[in-house]
Amino acid sequence: MGRKLLLEHANIEGIASYDVYRKNGGYRSVEKALKTMTPDEVVEEVKKSGLRGRGGAGFPTGMKWSFLAKPEGVPRYLLCNADESEPGTFKDRYLMEKIPHLLIEGMITSSFALGANQSYIYIRGEYMYVLRILEKAIAEAYANGWLGKNILGSGYNLDLAVSPGAGAYICGEETALIESLEGKRGNPRIKPPFPAVKGLWGCPTVVNNVETIAAVVPIVNDGGDEYAKIGIGKSTGTKLISASGNIRKPGVYEIELGISVDEFLNSEEWCGGMKNGKRLKACVPGGSSVPILPHFLVTKTAAGEDRLMSYESLADGGFATGSMLGSGGFIVYDEDQCIVRNTWNFTRFYHHESCGQCSPCREGTGWMEKVLHRLEYGHGKMEDIDLLWDIQRKIEGNTICPLGDAAAWPVAAAIRHFREEFEWHVNEPQACMQRNYGLVAEKVFAPASV
Amino acid sequence: MAFELTNHTSKPVTAREKDSSGDSLSPTDTQKDTRFAYIDNQPYEIREGETQLQFIRRNLGQDIVPTLCDAPNLEPFGSCRVCSVDVALQENGAVRTQASCHTPVAPNSYLYPNSDRIQKLRKNIIELVLTDHPLDCLTCEVNNNCELQTVAAKVGVRDVRYPAGKNHLDRKKDLSHPYMTSDMSKCINCSRCVRACDEVQGQFVLSMAGRGFDAHIVKGANQNFFESDCVSCGACAQACPTSAISDVFESKSIANTEKTRTICTYCGVGCNLEVATVNGKVKSIQAPYDAAVNEGHTCLKGRFAFGFYNHPDRLRTPLIRRNGELQPATWDEAYDYIANELTRIKKEHGPDFIAGISSARCTNEENYLMQKFIRAVIGTNNIDSCARVCHSPTALGMQRTFGTGAATNSIIDLKYTDLIMVIGANPTEGHPVTGAKLKQFAMKKPAIVIDPRRTEMARYAKYHLQLRPGTNVALLNMMLYYIIQEGLEDKKFIENRTEGYEEFRQKILALNIDEAEKVTGVNRELVRKAAIAYASAPNAMSFHGLGVTEHTLGTFTVMQIADLAMITGNIGRRGVGVNPLRGQNNVQGAADMGCQPHQGAGYLDVTDPENHKKYEAFYSAKLPDYVGYKIPQMYQAALNDKLKALWLMGEDVVQTDPNTHHVKAALAKLDLIVVQEIFMTETAKLAHVVLPAASFLEKSGTFTNGERRIQRVQQVTEPLEGTKPDGQIMIDIMNRMGYAQKPYHPDWLLAEISQIVPFFAGVKWNELGDNGKQWPVAQDGSDTEILHTDSFKRGKGKFIAAEWRETPEILKNGQEFPYIITTNRELEHYNNGTMTRRTGNVKILTEDVLLLHPDDAARHDIKSGDMVCVISARGKVDIKARVTDEVKPGVMSSTFHFPEIAMNNITSSECDTDALCPEYKVVACTIRKSKGKYKEEQK
Repeated sequence: MGRKLLLEHANIEGIASYDVYRKNGGYRSVEKALKTMTPDEVVEEVKKSGLRGRGGAGFPTGMKWSFLAKPEGVPRYLLCNADESEPGTFKDRYLMEKIPHLLIEGMITSSFALGANQSYIYIRGEYMYVLRILEKAIAEAYANGWLGKNILGSGYNLDLAVSPGAGAYICGEETALIESLEGKRGNPRIKPPFPAVKGLWGCPTVVNNVETIAAVVPIVNDGGDEYAKIGIGKSTGTKLISASGNIRKPGVYEIELGISVDEFLNSEEWCGGMKNGKRLKACVPGGSSVPILPHFLVTKTAAGEDRLMSYESLADGGFATGSMLGSGGFIVYDEDQCIVRNTWNFTRFYHHESCGQCSPCREGTGWMEKVLHRLEYGHGKMEDIDLLWDIQRKIEGNTICPLGDAAAWPVAAAIRHFREEFEWHVNEPQACMQRNYGLVAEKVFAPASV
Repeated sequence: MAFELTNHTSKPVTAREKDSSGDSLSPTDTQKDTRFAYIDNQPYEIREGETQLQFIRRNLGQDIVPTLCDAPNLEPFGSCRVCSVDVALQENGAVRTQASCHTPVAPNSYLYPNSDRIQKLRKNIIELVLTDHPLDCLTCEVNNNCELQTVAAKVGVRDVRYPAGKNHLDRKKDLSHPYMTSDMSKCINCSRCVRACDEVQGQFVLSMAGRGFDAHIVKGANQNFFESDCVSCGACAQACPTSAISDVFESKSIANTEKTRTICTYCGVGCNLEVATVNGKVKSIQAPYDAAVNEGHTCLKGRFAFGFYNHPDRLRTPLIRRNGELQPATWDEAYDYIANELTRIKKEHGPDFIAGISSARCTNEENYLMQKFIRAVIGTNNIDSCARVCHSPTALGMQRTFGTGAATNSIIDLKYTDLIMVIGANPTEGHPVTGAKLKQFAMKKPAIVIDPRRTEMARYAKYHLQLRPGTNVALLNMMLYYIIQEGLEDKKFIENRTEGYEEFRQKILALNIDEAEKVTGVNRELVRKAAIAYASAPNAMSFHGLGVTEHTLGTFTVMQIADLAMITGNIGRRGVGVNPLRGQNNVQGAADMGCQPHQGAGYLDVTDPENHKKYEAFYSAKLPDYVGYKIPQMYQAALNDKLKALWLMGEDVVQTDPNTHHVKAALAKLDLIVVQEIFMTETAKLAHVVLPAASFLEKSGTFTNGERRIQRVQQVTEPLEGTKPDGQIMIDIMNRMGYAQKPYHPDWLLAEISQIVPFFAGVKWNELGDNGKQWPVAQDGSDTEILHTDSFKRGKGKFIAAEWRETPEILKNGQEFPYIITTNRELEHYNNGTMTRRTGNVKILTEDVLLLHPDDAARHDIKSGDMVCVISARGKVDIKARVTDEVKPGVMSSTFHFPEIAMNNITSSECDTDALCPEYKVVACTIRKSKGKYKEEQK
């Protein structure tokens, strides 16, 4: 049984309420930080912990915090990115829903460390009910003196507010989030300047994921060194994994980084193996944006070593034979699943979510969707596969924000590992239709709908 | 997830790491030097803060890297990705693709702007863009001048591999507006128009709606151009790389290729214009990006309102009043008539019975000739210009305090200042291009606006001191008081550079704050905060307009503004100073050239024996050594039979001077009124001789803008048949009356002027270039951006205290007429509107309206759109009401652009006590709902 740092108390009755949370040791980190530590000492503990951003990029949090510019007389902001929208990722929602005070506590401690007096949680608009949970928790925190003026008599002031998005995945990109929070259209900004220098209202700003901020609580309570003992190499601590797909036990799991993928996939403690005794076909280990892995690269690396649930091991082999831990959206596909159809589905999402700012992404995501739709519905040509490859190459790395990359990578990996299945769609469209939809071909050869 | 994958495209390339093995490779010197970066492995020096694109273009030219979303006057945006280049950390090393337009160039980086990879990338991007763009280039308005077309041709797109799919080619055109057009099927979503609207004009009308493939430009709240809040500046049309947004003049069409650079005739900003002509006809106007004054921007007047120049209403033949009627005549007849009459009057009554009013709309050369004619040929100092009715108090007040009556700094100083104070000016309407810059400033940094109306600037300003009209002096005294009280004076500056401070200080400290607060109606705490902000900003710049000068205490207000600058040391360096926003295009020049009764060309006092001698020798004529009439004195003289002839060059005094009844009565007494005009104005209708003049597009010369910049006006087209440039008319009459003057040629005239106007010493026509020179111009041709840097023109700056007094208008009429009406300007029209009312502008703004507060409206049962009768001690006018809280209760506001309303029927003859500038800004009046018919609301 692995250690749990975030979800340890998640199943205690009434933990969403302040009293129960406090009785179970809640808000200790705030007391410790505000009463016994300087802000820099808190940053130092986070650095020592080796905590890496849990939103997907895995950038060391302590380093991000130390980049924050601190000009005299200019406010600084901490923004919590709760715009969890990536297909296959639902861990932040679970955490906020179950144990909202953990996030509030993390926000207070982190804001103190960064010298922010006004912080925001930017939450996905679709999570309106979670927003209400958070607002209730914030009201309780205010009522009990954890927020507001002169917290714990330390002289430190902090106001915290929740702000909902309006249904755009792009607002999970930190600069688009800032634009949106400022009340503008959620278009990503060009960098530099980075938010650490010019973020919200032009002031130095840190944007962290929900899970990252929650992890600050155990780090401050137990010390960064203690946190760093968990995990493997530069993948320290625990990670929430959203497991979904054709497995027996889908759900949100907190794992110690460094357990093997095989154990996570097959042990009863976690996913419980494949559903209905089917065989594993492929796995997307880190949310829809990361490259898909074929079955033979899921539990083993190309070199034949055990694949581990860690930033490094999942990325082993680069994009040729590896993938990424990303946000921890672990999606499993069994032998019945169609990779072309799945890729089309992802691409449809990115097409819908492109902000439209950069030409390669605005036009390219649409064409990828169209070409994939054509292939999936039996109108494809062999050149389409090369065209698809060509489009994704033109998007990747050629956009202001990483949404372009996120749209390109799944397409690239699918073609790289499953080219035969794409060709099969071209060569035997009727057979594909029959497999994917159980229909006779003539009935579905309708004109393309996009 | 909240995705935040590493964005490896936008991080700058880090400096080449020190590599111990590098020694064996024996790198060249430049490789170690952080001052260099490489393009195709060739080293080039980099400049601080440069982007990769700027670096490449500076060294290898504009055409190396194609762009679509980049524009010269906009911030980098990075969305089209066509400017991408390959970047490596070492020679021929592993490359990464970066958008060059916004990525800073890193020392020792290796840029490959046209590698095979990059060329393929660009081609693919353009191919994608073309899937949603019509391929009807041959019939497109911008065919052969389309940036998309050029880039597509350059990257060599031969076919589009995507079959016809969902697209936006069926979008409807928007032809709702008199000037702006759009055809969004041509849009490539580069956002240049949106950014131009935001960054250049600051209007925020255009924005992007929808997302991804559905992203599209919307105007206002998804309206058409006409319904939206568009101010028709045309910045978006000029910015658009295709014809998605354009204008009715098709200014981006290559049919309009013959281009002439000249200066706008409308306001004192002095925008450079690029006028396109075909067969000698003006087709369209654009703003050059390299113009120092307007940097690729201009307003709807400059860009679109040129249609007046060949309007059927233009005067095309001289007219002589015969049997009470103006009848066509030849030039010779007209000249003979004038010469005979002037000679007769001069003989019968003496030269002082003749007067001239020059025009700030005309060139320096023409103004010079006009005053020379009046002084040297007629022999009187009765010469004045419309500077009298706008900024004469500025000239006088600043001469008394600083020694020179001109803006101390330049508009470019806005880039260096920390705070602006705008007093009695509405620049977003009156000086739109400078106004846009001031507005941009106010959105980012603190601004103080002192104005009775909540103008657009006031809405953006941190401090708006909304005073009662006529109380500027009281309010500025409050500011001075608080600055002294807070100890925020710049003691060192006062000590070293000024005189008269102690006495001044005592007077200011004796101020009765209670009374000042009461009369101004502005909370003292707000004034105190604004005063502290002004005094404690490292650099503070003040701007003022006619709301300062057109008062009985106008000259004193100007001196107070100068006091404020001196007491805080805000004078004599970048980003500070006292900057009058000059009204007309050449009002600075008209005064410089000596069109005023007390000073000759170059501001030399005509009563000074030395100057007098100098002028007499220079003009080879006998000149009077006493001061002549100012404009209001001319009317008085006429009424007293002391004036018999008046020559008006392009000045419509009947519509624009206050108290029309008084003006008309004076004119009726004259034996001879000569009017040089381009249209039959209200004044021309009363003339004895009307001479058809040429417009600014039809002549050459120089205009001097509000920042003392002498710029070249270049003839774009031949004068309409039957018309002559005003300068030529002056020369003709001078010769006719026996004074030999060479034909009108700006080059020759500038040479003459530079010999008599000291600060024009080094001005030469051929050396003025596109962006002109700011006077004083030294003999060696070097010019001056900032005045009074080391010492004031008059030696030490002089503090002069002013005491507030109620204007006689209120004292005399305030009881009977309890409201105050103040006059102002609207963006779409210019002064008496003779020009703008003959362009599409009149479709945008159709009439003068009266702004009044809801409380006042309710009291008289007036609703927006009702006709209101406004009555003053002079007369009454009927005008449509617009109920708004832009004005305070008791205060109303209107314009006099339309002769149908003739607002000057009610303005008074009160004048500035010292400069005799009329008090347009305070008119005691009363209102009632009009018995006249209601007009349909047109806009």
